[in-house]
Amino acid sequence: MSAVERVKVTVDGREVEVEKGLGLVEAAAAAGIEIPVFCYEPRLGPPVGACRMCLVEVEGVPKLQAGCTLTAQDGMIVRTAEASAKAAEGQNATLEFILVNHPLDCPVCDKGGECPLQDLTFRYGPGQTRMTFSKRTLDKPIPISPTIALDRERCILCYRCTRFSSDVAEDGQLVARNRGAQSVIATFEDEAYKAPFSGNVIELCPVGALTSTQYRFEGRPWEIQNVPTVCGMCPVGCNVSATTREGKVRRIVSRNHPEVDRGWLCDKGRFAYPHVYAEDRIVDPLERVRRRGFTGLSWDDAVDRAEALLRGAEGRIVTALSGSETVEQAFALGKLLRQGLGAHSAVMPEAVSHGLDAFRAPLSAIGAAEIIVVVGEDEVADRAPIVELWIKLARRHGAEIVRVAEPKLGRKLEERVSASDRAVLIWSGRGGGGGARLAELGHRLGLDSKPGCAAFHLPTTPNGRGVADAWAASADGDEANPEPIGLLIVSGDEAAADPAVRALAEQAETVIAITMYHGLAVGWADLVLPGTSYLERDGSFVNLEGRVQRLRRSVIPPVPDELAWIAKLAERFDVELSPHAALVFEEVSERCFGGIPFGAVGEIAPLPERVAYVAPEPAPIAPIPPAEPEPQEHFLGTLRLQRYRPLFSGPAVERVPELQFQRPAAEIELAYDDAQRRQIASGDEVSVRSNGTSVALRARVSRALAGGTARIADEHAGELHRDVEVVKA
Amino acid sequence: MAAEQFVVLAGADEKPLLRLADYRAAGGFAALEQARGMEPAAVVQEILDSGLRGRGGAFFPTGRKASFLAKGTGNPTYLVVNADESEPGTFKDREIMFTVPFRLLEGCLITAHAIECDRVFIYIRGEYLREFELLRDALEEIHRAKLLSGVTIVLHRGAGAYICGEETALLESLEGKRGQPRTKPPFPAVAGLYASPSLINNVETIATVPKIIELGAKEYAKIGVPPDSSGTRVFSLSGNVVNSGNFELPMGVTLRELIYDPDLGGGIPGGRQLKAVIPGGSSVPVLTADQLDTPLEANAMAEAGSMLGSGAIIVIDDRCCMVQLGLRVAQFYMHESCGKCTPCREGTRWMVQILDSIEAGTASQGDLDLLLDVCDRILGKCLCPLGDAAAMPVASYVDKFRSEFQEHLDSGCPMHGHSSLESILAPVDQHTHDPVAEVPA
Amino acid sequence: MTLYAEVQELRSRYPVSRSATLPALRLAQDRYGWLSPEAFREVAEALEETPAYCMAVASFYDMYHLTPVGKHLVEVCTNISCALVGAQQVLEAFQDELGIHAGETSEDGEVTLRAVECAGGCGWGTVVVLNHRYRERVTAADVPAIVEEIRGG
Repeated sequence: MSAVERVKVTVDGREVEVEKGLGLVEAAAAAGIEIPVFCYEPRLGPPVGACRMCLVEVEGVPKLQAGCTLTAQDGMIVRTAEASAKAAEGQNATLEFILVNHPLDCPVCDKGGECPLQDLTFRYGPGQTRMTFSKRTLDKPIPISPTIALDRERCILCYRCTRFSSDVAEDGQLVARNRGAQSVIATFEDEAYKAPFSGNVIELCPVGALTSTQYRFEGRPWEIQNVPTVCGMCPVGCNVSATTREGKVRRIVSRNHPEVDRGWLCDKGRFAYPHVYAEDRIVDPLERVRRRGFTGLSWDDAVDRAEALLRGAEGRIVTALSGSETVEQAFALGKLLRQGLGAHSAVMPEAVSHGLDAFRAPLSAIGAAEIIVVVGEDEVADRAPIVELWIKLARRHGAEIVRVAEPKLGRKLEERVSASDRAVLIWSGRGGGGGARLAELGHRLGLDSKPGCAAFHLPTTPNGRGVADAWAASADGDEANPEPIGLLIVSGDEAAADPAVRALAEQAETVIAITMYHGLAVGWADLVLPGTSYLERDGSFVNLEGRVQRLRRSVIPPVPDELAWIAKLAERFDVELSPHAALVFEEVSERCFGGIPFGAVGEIAPLPERVAYVAPEPAPIAPIPPAEPEPQEHFLGTLRLQRYRPLFSGPAVERVPELQFQRPAAEIELAYDDAQRRQIASGDEVSVRSNGTSVALRARVSRALAGGTARIADEHAGELHRDVEVVKA
Repeated sequence: MAAEQFVVLAGADEKPLLRLADYRAAGGFAALEQARGMEPAAVVQEILDSGLRGRGGAFFPTGRKASFLAKGTGNPTYLVVNADESEPGTFKDREIMFTVPFRLLEGCLITAHAIECDRVFIYIRGEYLREFELLRDALEEIHRAKLLSGVTIVLHRGAGAYICGEETALLESLEGKRGQPRTKPPFPAVAGLYASPSLINNVETIATVPKIIELGAKEYAKIGVPPDSSGTRVFSLSGNVVNSGNFELPMGVTLRELIYDPDLGGGIPGGRQLKAVIPGGSSVPVLTADQLDTPLEANAMAEAGSMLGSGAIIVIDDRCCMVQLGLRVAQFYMHESCGKCTPCREGTRWMVQILDSIEAGTASQGDLDLLLDVCDRILGKCLCPLGDAAAMPVASYVDKFRSEFQEHLDSGCPMHGHSSLESILAPVDQHTHDPVAEVPA
Repeated sequence: MTLYAEVQELRSRYPVSRSATLPALRLAQDRYGWLSPEAFREVAEALEETPAYCMAVASFYDMYHLTPVGKHLVEVCTNISCALVGAQQVLEAFQDELGIHAGETSEDGEVTLRAVECAGGCGWGTVVVLNHRYRERVTAADVPAIVEEIRGG
């Protein structure tokens, strides 16, 4: 590797040495000087030089130059508005032009107080208007989706949003319509901007043109607090700030961890926070009473009742975990049940393996990769949305992306992968032993010895790894698989919603459910203990990279959090347990995270070092995957069904009205040729049958889908099995 | 006495050369054969030595542009011909395409050989349907005559956008996008079409290349006013002039000769007086009657405070209200602004609003200064030359005809409804979010 | 040949298939008269782009019709060279003859009249573009005959 060439640039008389080719905006920042920008945003790709806010004078160039499009060259002498009257005049002109048709409705604008246009006008703009004609007026606000409102009068046409749509998310849905002064931001035929990452355009907008419908008029910047935490909706663990006002969460914004999320969020992470305020949120413990259904009871009574159920089971206890508990919660629960009651049996939401620790790398390594192999049939965005954006980034930089259904790459592909210094393997599908199989493959291809290479398993739960580790670390002892189950403890909403857990409950004599919602508790639990959301907890999560990240309590939950009552119960079983996450973490950390203190997890968490590869043992506490019936003999007309769990699903999403439009329609996606053969067109009603069950769905014909397959979202697939007949209804 | 000198249009003075046989009879494709016998670098050297400069308006030395092409990028090199002629007053490329289409194609093949490329795109403005058909037929003929030798020429039609004449906007459009200009660098010679090294030249420039090979660079360079204005130009003469049309003349002929020579423009009709003349398409500063002896060559034009631009001379007689002219020109640029950069998008609209009020007699004294200030705030601050193209001419109208603008402020239009541009209707955007039929001047 | 197949042929002409966007939109417009939402969807599918993308591109260019137009398209250049020699009189003559304003379509859906920017026939003004074919040196006096020709044809 050749050393990076350093060059000297002088900005406003200050000389600074930077890497050659660094953007001038960054070079000036290194000299402590701001070049103001609107359209410039390096995460959106190469600069476009559209807004002309960044005009600077460059010695030897007669015209003012757009600073954002320049790169540092040796000997370059630049003067910004601070040092050049010409540059100041240019920036002032740009702001005057921007404001000519801007409504200046700052008093009623959500952006007011945190608005780059306000700030830059204050610093660089004209003090008064010379516009005496009527300003452009337009219908406003236009809901471009149930989550985003567009005010075209405020729009300064910086094209950040459309560039995000076309060049980052690549959804191609938010575009500029018309030309010149008539240009407006628009969706096709005013249809909803329906894409997994749409909400990022709100944060990208440098004015109040794109605002969140959820946050509209909910708070002014000077009366809110931003709590730094991480998202608990998927295993990526995007770094977010929860904006709170008067003790309520009002919005979620990105906090940009450059190795994890690059400042992007998916719409689930951004818009699903109102699940905290769902109508069917449980705020009191509930007890099943014969004939009368449920009755509320006090926390003291609830703890008594729980103690009684725990004792009554005589150790025949099984715990079903969600993978959305914090590390501390899982450890506390484990310590109570395993140390206090010898109840070692647990049902984990998914398999976990440490095999991939030998391939550990930040997610940003995907963006820098030159070859990426994705194994499995699930859409990456459905499992770990931000990973999809990293893959797209790599593809835009020329990386080869290969999708294979099974971990059989073939000789040629294996050679390309093992020859590369920047190869990444990603497992996005069922099975795989929590990464164990991918680790075996990666090791065989020699990826663990190359720092630019990596392998990632995309789990289905946000903290499955952390929960499994914490549970394992909480006590010594082997699983017993009690028969019959005396008590099933269902920890968390995902477990409560899982049909397999429900099936287990049928065999259990008693059930304790820890859940946030009535809808998930009623009818099968003997005791319901109200749960909390990740937005309400202190603690830590381990993301799919193996990075330990800090959750901060953004708002006080309406119920005691899990640690509080677990600690209380622990007392009764002579188990020493703190109700404070910081103290529990220290105990876990000694066993799992090399003893790092809670405070050291930090706001921008580091990634632990790689460890040497060890051939994985069979995962100790892997669930038995639901058995797929053997495929029937294929005959003409049978399609292989791919069921998928869409990103926009689950208990939280179901409870947010603004996200309902994102949920999958009751439809089956068919390949073009398969549809032709069956004389099915998009929009037709079809009947989908297998193994004696039948589901009525609408057809959507896709030219992208491989022939012989069909896709249906889990929630619409009913009892359908792998081979389905599809006929026009 | 000025006389036409046919170089680009050679052989077509009697009738257009629309069949390969006719073009060959006029000496066509001999230059191609000659060029293909030369080393590519030698052909580039010939073009350099000829002093040929871009005929689209920017007047950049063609040979130098070709020599900038990046080598060894691993990407193919493309030749793109800019046939998106849209500058108001300009119709010379169209004449070339409908009289000597084969010369353009021969120029493409010679240039492709010179820069070692085998993919040529001709981006022709969408409105030029007949010219597209003629080129298509000519291309078919040379294909059948096996003259392409492995070079593919693709004719690509635009769809109605002046800005696509700007080279980077043209590339965007050719790539299937909205025709918005790109920032430079990277320059097209390094990363142009499909991020590959690309040479972009105007129709007239490319159609000159065969004649340079045929005459030899030295001979060609003697034509006109060497060294900066060598060669002929096909001047488009329009407006209030007796013989309007295209005239191919060596550079250096004066405006007066072009406009008044009986064999050329033939003077102003109806015994009218010349009031002003636009010497290089609507985007250049206007000249007045006392500047008619300015030679049509780059340096003299610059001295006179204007530019030769696309070689389009628009003659304006004394019936024209200069405020209306300014308004109509500003409306055009507002309509054609791509909307990407702020000063052009917002500034051209503001200019129209101010000019509209001056013409309507509702403006105050301050508005005239404001207009000049808005022009000044657009000038030199935009992403591409379109903003300047709006600001420069309008500012020059105020500058040269200040008293007429002043009269509008004081007592209304001195033409009292008899201007030749009275009530002229400018097309509004074809696609508006809020449809307004038309904006009357 | 289906539009889909024709678009595939267009795409094959270019090193990057997105370059076929403008020709594909023109193809659809020629087929349907204008670019309806359905036409956009069809073109988008064939180009493997989104309908929004196709709409964004089409709305940038003057020659694509995003609303229905008449069977005949009459376009009068009113840019300066034509304006100096009487384009406004020609346009007004068309307005009178057709009984519609520029920018409108006749009630019978036969004729759409538009003022357009410079068509590149400046020396031979006024330029009238009739169904994409140029008529040059048109004067107001020529207009009734042209309208009769359209109506008759």
